[in-house]
Order: sequence, then C-alpha cells, then structure tokens
Amino acid sequence: MAIDQTAIAQLESTPVTYEGSLGRPAQSYWSESWERLRGSRFGMFFGAILVLMALIAITAPLFATFVTHIQPTSVNLANSFAPFGRAHLLGTDELGRDTLTRLVYGARVSLGVGFLTVAIYLLIGGTVGISAGFYGGLFDDLLMRFVDVLLAVPTIYLLIMIASMLPLPIGPVTIRHDAFSLSFIIAITVWGAVARLVRGETLTVKNRDFILATRSIGASNFRIMGRHLLPNVLPVMIVAASLGVGQIILLEAALDFIGLGVQPPTPSWGNMLLNAQSYFYHSTWLVVLPGVCIVLAVLSANIFGNAVRDAFDPRLK
Amino acid sequence: MAAHLLEVDDLHTVFPTKDGVVKAVDGVSFYLDAGETLGIVGESGSGKSVTVLSVMRLLQRPGRIARGKILYKGRDLTKASEPEMQEIRGEEIAMIFQDPMTSMNPVFKTGWQVGEPLRLHKNFDAKRAFKEAISYLQRVGIPEPEKRAEQYPHEFSGGMRQRAMIAMGLSTGPNILIADEPTTALDVTIQAQILELLRKVNHDFGTATILITHNLGVVAGMCERVVVMYAGKVAEQGPTEAVFANPKHPYTWSLLRSIPRLDAVEHEPLRAIEGLPPDLINLPTGCAFHPRCPFRVDRCVKEAPPLEPVGETQLAACWVTQAGKDLNEVAS
Repeated sequence: MAIDQTAIAQLESTPVTYEGSLGRPAQSYWSESWERLRGSRFGMFFGAILVLMALIAITAPLFATFVTHIQPTSVNLANSFAPFGRAHLLGTDELGRDTLTRLVYGARVSLGVGFLTVAIYLLIGGTVGISAGFYGGLFDDLLMRFVDVLLAVPTIYLLIMIASMLPLPIGPVTIRHDAFSLSFIIAITVWGAVARLVRGETLTVKNRDFILATRSIGASNFRIMGRHLLPNVLPVMIVAASLGVGQIILLEAALDFIGLGVQPPTPSWGNMLLNAQSYFYHSTWLVVLPGVCIVLAVLSANIFGNAVRDAFDPRLK
Repeated sequence: MAAHLLEVDDLHTVFPTKDGVVKAVDGVSFYLDAGETLGIVGESGSGKSVTVLSVMRLLQRPGRIARGKILYKGRDLTKASEPEMQEIRGEEIAMIFQDPMTSMNPVFKTGWQVGEPLRLHKNFDAKRAFKEAISYLQRVGIPEPEKRAEQYPHEFSGGMRQRAMIAMGLSTGPNILIADEPTTALDVTIQAQILELLRKVNHDFGTATILITHNLGVVAGMCERVVVMYAGKVAEQGPTEAVFANPKHPYTWSLLRSIPRLDAVEHEPLRAIEGLPPDLINLPTGCAFHPRCPFRVDRCVKEAPPLEPVGETQLAACWVTQAGKDLNEVAS
C-alpha cells in the first residue's frame, strides 16, 4: 500500500541519460506553417505578383516621376485617346491622361483598401469574437445578435447606404470618398463573419485546461485574452483573412464603378472602368486595362490566400 | 485557530443547473498548517477538485460558493476581489493539474511559460524570467534545461511536462502548492518520480502541499494527514497512520478493504463497494453513505451525522463509530 521506497531509490540512483542531441530542433507552429507556405510554388508565384504590384503601388510617385514622366491627373486635351507609344506606354484617355500612370495610382487605392480593410476587420472581428467568446453570457448574446443583424443585410446595400451619406462630418473630421474612409466603411460592414468564427474558436480554446492553469497563476482576463487566447485563435483569423483581400478589392472596385467609391479625378481601377465604358467601342483598351489589373490582383490575392490557408490552417494538416 | 495557514470552514459550493442545485461541496471543513502535506481522497464526484478550485476561486460558471469561509493567513478568500485573488494565485497559492498534456499552452516555449508567474508577480523581464525558469527546470530534475526551455510543450513527455508545471508553480516561492491528481494521467514509474519530486519540494522549499488523489497508496506514502471526502462532505479526517490503521468511517473502511492485496488468496474476488456514488442533486436522506453502508443503523437513514471527534486524533461523521463501536470488530 505504501510506496515502495526501495523502488524509488533505485529509480533515483539510475542516471537519466540522453543520447546526443534531442532530435530535430524545436519548431513552432509559425515556422512550420511558413515552411509549408514556401513549399507551395504556385502560391508563392502569385504571392510574388501581389508583392510586386504592392511595391509599384507604394512607389507610385517615383514611378510617375522616373518612368512615365507624367502625373496621373495632368490633362492634355490635344493628345486624347493616344495609342500605345513611346510617350504614353499604354496610351491616354479622353482627357489625354496617361493610362499607365493612372493604373499605377489606381493600384494604390485597390491594394491599399484591400489590405487596410482586412487589417481593420480582423481587429474588430478579433476583438469582438474573443471578448464575446471569453465573457459569454449576456455580453456574448448582445454582440452576436448584433452580428446576426449585420450579416442579414446584404453587404453591398449596406455599403451603398453608408457611401451615399458621404461626405459625412463627424465631429472635427469629415468622412469623404477617399481610400482611407472607404476601408473603414467596408470593414465595419464585413467584420461580422470574422467575429463569429473567432468566437467559435475562442469557445473551444477557453475551456482547455491550459487556460485554467493560466488563471491559476494569477493572470488577469485581459492577459488571458491577449497573450493566451489570441495566439491560439490567430490561425482561424489568418484563414479568414487569406481570402479576404481579393474579395475586398472586388467590393471596392464595385463601389467605384457605381460612383460611390473613390471620386475622380483621383484614379482608381473601378472609376477608370466607369469612365471608360462610354468609349468601349472606340477605345477598348481603356476598359480592358483596368479590368485586367483587377482580375490579376484578385486572382493573385485569392491564389496566394489559398496557399496561406492551406499552410496555416491547423485542420488541414 | 489563527495558527493555521489555510483554514476551510463549513464550505458550501453549489452548481445551479436545469435539473436542480448540485451540492458539489456540502459543508467541508479542514485546515492546513505551514509545511505539512495534506491528502484529500475520495472517488470521482466526491468534491475534492471543487473544494480546491473554490479555495483558488477558480470555479467555472455556474458554480459558486454559497456559504462558508476560506481563511488564508486569517484573511477570508471568499470575500477577496478578483484582483486580490490574482495576487494570491500563483504568488501565494500555486496549483498543478491532473493532465499535464493539456495544461500547457501549445503555442509558447516551455521556458516562457514556466517563467510566466515571475513576470506576473515579481516584475521580471522576459529574459530574466526565462533564465530563472531554466534554473527551476533544473531543480525539478529536467535534464539539459537550457535546451528544454527552448522547446514547445508537445516535445515534452507527460512526466517532463508535469515536472515543468511543478517548476512553474514553485518559481514564485508560494506557501501552498495544490496538486490536483498530479499523477493520474501518468504511467506508474513516472508517478513514483513525480511524487518523490513533490515530497522533495515539500521538504526543500517548505511548501505546504495539498495532494488530491483517489489513490490511497499515494496518501499513505506522502501525507501526514488525510481528509476523506464522500458526496461533498468530509467523511473522516485525521493523521494518515491512524486513519489507515483504524478507520472511523465505514466509507474509509470499505475503501481500504477494496484495495487489491498481493497476499490475497487466489481467485478471491476483489471487494468493491456495493452500489453507486449518490446523485448530488438528490442526496439520500440522513448520511449520504447509508445506502451503501454495511454498518447502517436506523438513525443513519433519518439524520445526517455531524463531523465529530472519534478516538484520540480522528474526526468522523458516522453514528456507529461515534457511539463507540469499532468497525473492524463489528465486521468480524
């Protein structure tokens, strides 16, 4: 009945030895996932295209100064509908504005809105999802019913409604049709799905023993949510974000196209498309070029997003 | 009375559910002195874990403490605020859990986790906490602690993880270490090592230990005093030796008799306790153990016995022994 003391003494006196090193080096979820992502050539190729487009977009002013030698809004009526050529590599539009320069500046809007929106909705959805899941009860019920309502209204109508109220002065700031405001507006209409996903994951993680163990060492609720729950729900957030960028680029282009997005003369792929539709038979290139840009950006974002999802989704391992 | 490090007095913990109120802990009292090792034994659902979770104020909803006092250094923890409890948890009272495979956060390096109490309570920066964690990993017998600290929990075996959990619990130098079935999920040889480590910790650091287990052998080898719980109540408590030699409650008596013996006659059936543990929503009338008790008298069905001194050093809640009868004699 009593513990056999001699057996313990024997165990104690037997030195524990390990041969050589401890196997392969420690690998975290992150390094493992990153390696898987790098292994996906197709995904990495389109990821590279996305990065290249983003780089050109970020350096658009330099591009305008050193490559096309013209500003996106400079008008030259004498040279409208110019064909592809040395002075204007991709021609000009009805006001003689350089198409290539405008496409490069348009990339700023599309990609900027795409990434910024996803970042904002991850922040909102993540915060709401984690806190609703963690606290539960009435707090959870209220937030989730709000999300249900949000998800019940078609996003495009919600967007049109908000966008048509612009410019909207709120206190000292006025919300206008610029890329920055559009990101916020799109984000607040689409964060619901992420919040739901994160909440669900939080519910399963918070009941795991290590959360109780973390509470037992005196961690506060905020610390548990920020340091312990967040890293564990981050994979679902990454998966949710992976296909988000492409979707948002399309949504933003659609808003531009119906005239509620970025306003001329600031170029965006969507409003270039809107502008060009009057000249479809006359100058097909003006329609094709922004269209190709949108397709290429969305396609790259989606294929790369798929690769990210495959690499980071713990359930797909 | 004020001399006790921890004193639990008439603790009632309830879980209101759809089907009724579950009285998980129903009037439990015990104490723990500095430096001693106390065993709490009982079968599944007897309220052992809920008792210590109440002490830590870590009950999951809808569980709550309905009544009673938990005095730690004379201060009533049932009245402490959540921020006050956060100061006590990990710093004054540390806890290790049953399943070391799930008690560690899979996304962090072991050294980071073991050092977390130091960052929380001692204002250590990350680097210093990590270093200190390595030294504690060494002290709990983890070989190559520098390498091990850099590894993730999934690279640890169960026994090593439990050692790491003990290191984590010890790092802040708590006064009480609560071990909730620390060896249940481990295999037998590792169990012995972990228990020996807990014994060493108790000895070297002077940390008072509450060891929750359903293994009587563990209690016999480790604990100075033992509390036997049944259906949310204390059935019996006293010095381990006295309780084992001369149980004063039929439940303890039955438990001790049910242990398989090496010197048993061949083909002799194992002696299980008849019947099933009681339903905690509808407890039997009188003594909760009476439907399974071989010593039952009429009074047991009607009245619940209080926990009273029986013999010189023990307390028992049983009408039979309180009337001065010896269970071993009655049985034979």
